[in-house]
Amino acid sequence: MTATDHSPKPARTRRLVSWQYARTFAIHGVLLLLMVAFLAPVVWAILSSFKQANGIIRAPLVFDPSSFTLDNYTSMFEDVPIVRGFSNTAVVLVFKGAITMFFAPLAAFAFAKYDFKGKNVIFGMVLVTLMLPTIVLIIPLLLEMKTLGWVNTYQGLILPGAVDAFAIFWMRQVIRAVPDDLLAAARIDGCSEFGIFWRVIVPVIRPGLAGLAVLTIMNIYNDFVWPVVVASSDDRATLQVVLSSLAQNITGNRIGADYATVTGELLAAASVALIPLLIFFILLQRHFINGILAGSVKG
Amino acid sequence: MRERRRQSRRTRWLTTISVLTVAALGLAACGSADSTSDSTATSDSTATSDSTATSDSTTTSLVAADSDRLQAPTEDSPEGEITIWDRSGDLYEVFDATIPKFNEKYPNIKVNHVAVDIDAKLQNTLITGADVPDGVFLDDAKIGGFSEFLWDLADVLAPYVDDIAAQKVDVNTINGGVFGVPFDLDPGLLYYNEAALSEAGVDAAQIETYDDLLDAAREYQAKNPESGPIHLEQSPFLGQLQLEMFASQLGTSMADSAGELRLDSPEYEQILTFLDTVQHEDLGTRAEYLGPTDIAELENGNQVFYPWAIWFSFAPQQLLTDTTGDWRAMELPAWEDGGARSGAMGGSSFVLPREGENSELAWLFYEFLMFNEAGYSAVWGPNDVYPTGLNTSIPSYLPAADPGAPLFQPVEALGGQDLWAVATEAGAQIPGGTPLPTWWAGAVDYLGNNIQRMLDGDLKPSDVVSLSTEEIQDNLVDRQ
Amino acid sequence: MARLRAAPYVFVAPFVAMFLAFSVYPMVFTVRLSFTSWRGAGDPVWIGWDNYSYLLTNDRFWGSLWNSAALWLLIVPVQLVVGVIVAVLLNSAKLRLRGMYRVAFIVPFVTPLVAVAQIWVVLFDQSYGAINSLFALVGLPEVGWLTTSTWAKPTLALLFLWKTTGFIVIILLSGLQSIKPVLYESASLDGASWSQQLRSITVPLIRPTIMFVVVLQTLAVFQMFAEPFVVTQGGPYSSTTTAGYFLYNQINRADLGTGAATSLLLVVAVMALSLMFVRMLRAEDGS
Repeated sequence: MTATDHSPKPARTRRLVSWQYARTFAIHGVLLLLMVAFLAPVVWAILSSFKQANGIIRAPLVFDPSSFTLDNYTSMFEDVPIVRGFSNTAVVLVFKGAITMFFAPLAAFAFAKYDFKGKNVIFGMVLVTLMLPTIVLIIPLLLEMKTLGWVNTYQGLILPGAVDAFAIFWMRQVIRAVPDDLLAAARIDGCSEFGIFWRVIVPVIRPGLAGLAVLTIMNIYNDFVWPVVVASSDDRATLQVVLSSLAQNITGNRIGADYATVTGELLAAASVALIPLLIFFILLQRHFINGILAGSVKG
Repeated sequence: MRERRRQSRRTRWLTTISVLTVAALGLAACGSADSTSDSTATSDSTATSDSTATSDSTTTSLVAADSDRLQAPTEDSPEGEITIWDRSGDLYEVFDATIPKFNEKYPNIKVNHVAVDIDAKLQNTLITGADVPDGVFLDDAKIGGFSEFLWDLADVLAPYVDDIAAQKVDVNTINGGVFGVPFDLDPGLLYYNEAALSEAGVDAAQIETYDDLLDAAREYQAKNPESGPIHLEQSPFLGQLQLEMFASQLGTSMADSAGELRLDSPEYEQILTFLDTVQHEDLGTRAEYLGPTDIAELENGNQVFYPWAIWFSFAPQQLLTDTTGDWRAMELPAWEDGGARSGAMGGSSFVLPREGENSELAWLFYEFLMFNEAGYSAVWGPNDVYPTGLNTSIPSYLPAADPGAPLFQPVEALGGQDLWAVATEAGAQIPGGTPLPTWWAGAVDYLGNNIQRMLDGDLKPSDVVSLSTEEIQDNLVDRQ
Repeated sequence: MARLRAAPYVFVAPFVAMFLAFSVYPMVFTVRLSFTSWRGAGDPVWIGWDNYSYLLTNDRFWGSLWNSAALWLLIVPVQLVVGVIVAVLLNSAKLRLRGMYRVAFIVPFVTPLVAVAQIWVVLFDQSYGAINSLFALVGLPEVGWLTTSTWAKPTLALLFLWKTTGFIVIILLSGLQSIKPVLYESASLDGASWSQQLRSITVPLIRPTIMFVVVLQTLAVFQMFAEPFVVTQGGPYSSTTTAGYFLYNQINRADLGTGAATSLLLVVAVMALSLMFVRMLRAEDGS
């Protein structure tokens, strides 16, 4: 199944072939350059994780493969509960991701295609959620968790913010573009409201949903401000919490003496954290997204 | 269609704004002089003990004594579990390794040792009382800010307090209560590149005052015109910390124990003038502590004098591979003849939150670490993490900080120098101090930045003082 | 459109439930707190509009807004242009290795900032950094990238661009993918060039997506906190103290009442800005 071509087509000229070659070459050139720019710092971090910790600070751009060592990794695995961090992140990803992926587009559908009393007020709630910086809400939210007994629990990690406001905001955007005639036709056919959502909207917005899936995963994965506060022990610490505890000797103001060793462990942890995510995305890329996109475009 | 959409969007924004405004106004209207309390830090004044054999004396002393003061357990073998928070890193490893030794003495106390991002978590945890640990490692600078959540340790520290370095006790003493178990004393030292200096014919051992230091720097520069012999700190935070080290030598600090600013003093003028002179005469290298420039200039002999806390020793040992072995440490120069030859720069203590479940057991842990020979030897002596011992600080407990009985070994990177002797002797000279004001970190925006501007050549020392005083007073002190 | 249909209410119910459960109390708490002085212990003390008057007359508060605005100017236009171009390039069907590029572009977004902060500091070091070395090679003077107020913002903007552009490309890409290829085909039959098609078909049709991205990134830039925190600590001379970092400092220093007031002012500022953009972008919508 070939991917459908969405790009602007070149005007047909006699020099079709060489023009197209040049164009492809140029496109790849630009993309490659960007790719290098995007990947270089990460490659640096991964390679550095194999260096002696002090060497990372002392000579950051010097890489001597013969002196590569796994020290940072061994000490990291010993000291840092990274496996636990992974499993906790996975749990949160699955549950919170599922909740958002299902309920956000649904809510967005309501905002995009219905008029109902209180719609503006409720959408205002969405906007305010988006705009209020999380950091201010930490203390009262933590108090709530304490009252509910949810400190350091999975519920505490998953439920607050489970139906992501950003997801609603974006999906509303996407769903608005769906022609109303499709819905009208479905209604005439006797489809239920939910049926309209499931059978008409969802297939049409597949590319948007695919994008949402990727972004939701990334946002949950990156989420740090709340988890670091609600997860008070290693049992429930997500990856970002684990990484942040390593990073504190490096960020902000360097005081004291052991930030070099911590840097080594941090780079090792970051590298380890990155790899599964990358593999996941590569797989997602190939089988999931491309498959979804192939089925999505109507002529 | 578009019109309607535009209108509905406008309505939406308006609705949101009006919702918020109404809420705000409504609350403002309801709000009155008697503030409604959302307060969450209910002080649980009694620490519950899980120990099985509760003796009468414990219970009565808990009730009779000031209920904010922690009392030590009196049973033979206290039992329970404690959660101890530390920063991750080598120090965490060191403390972790001491736990088995602690358990030799107290076999029934289980230590749950956690590496935590303390800066990110402690405040929220204390304010909301959610899963509060029993003991936390905390920078001295932060203790003032949390004192209301912490146990007053005056009673439990009483047997030891006279033997603890005055500055550390003072920095933990707020309104008459002592809120931390002092951990390390970080005396300021003058690190110098012996090899480079002797090659230039400069004898560092002759330096006794900061004027002498300036002369030595000039002499060095005469032989090495490209050099900037004295380190000038470029990070506003560390620059302020270093300033306070100099001030500590002179027995003063940014704020007195009542929290009143005292920057406008001859001491600060002297210190700032010294720094300004270094800048003015081009005798300094301006760089961020151990950043790329700093390391490079230390290695190539352009920067040969580093007045800094003892924890700079980490640099020649781990980072300065070219000049390792060339460096030495000595006491800081004095500000006037016969003055104190060291001041404190940084340092941490252990605090015990009142809402911890087993605070008095956590006290036993810290008591062991700091005041028991098995404990402090394990921390500073040779171990798996530091084969030659932890040499980036010294104990604040004076019997442990005996110049003649080193806990850590001579430092090879300092040419085999007995850093212990130098540091402990210097540490003994540190005058008493004051607790750091709660707004200390906030002052970096003003004082820290103004020092940097002075080092840029944009401000005079007197301006630094007057401007900082005004800004700190208006933005920090007055808003406490 | 039926007004009393139950369906929309059911559809938004989960969000509303979450909102009521986890957002209302914190928001009310915050609004209330903004009228008090509170350091975390004891009771908050009612001080009325004091926090607001302090902030609205405070250099540093306005400075942080200005910094965020300047960063916005450095980031958003560039990101949109680059983002659209990259998205369009990625979208060309004949492109092999498209998957590889896509993955490569999102890597920065999921890499912990602290892992790459070090290399940023090293590259941009004034005396020994690679960037200045390159400059020296071509005869340009050395620049105080992270040590001068002038250059710290662009340097930080670059870091933010590096980190988030991939994210934006994904959003733009899915916007692109809903454009029917038929439009391009008929345009090229009419003789339109690649760039003409870009301008008259692509950009107008993804205008809603672009609008969305602008609002999103406006939020992100104003709330930006990690980059200044890790790399510059808001300096030098508060030149990289964004509104988000300013807020963080207040919260972290237990100045909670002022922090609450700051965050509310921030919400107002961002809402005003977003409204302005939405209006602007809509006004351009052919009439």
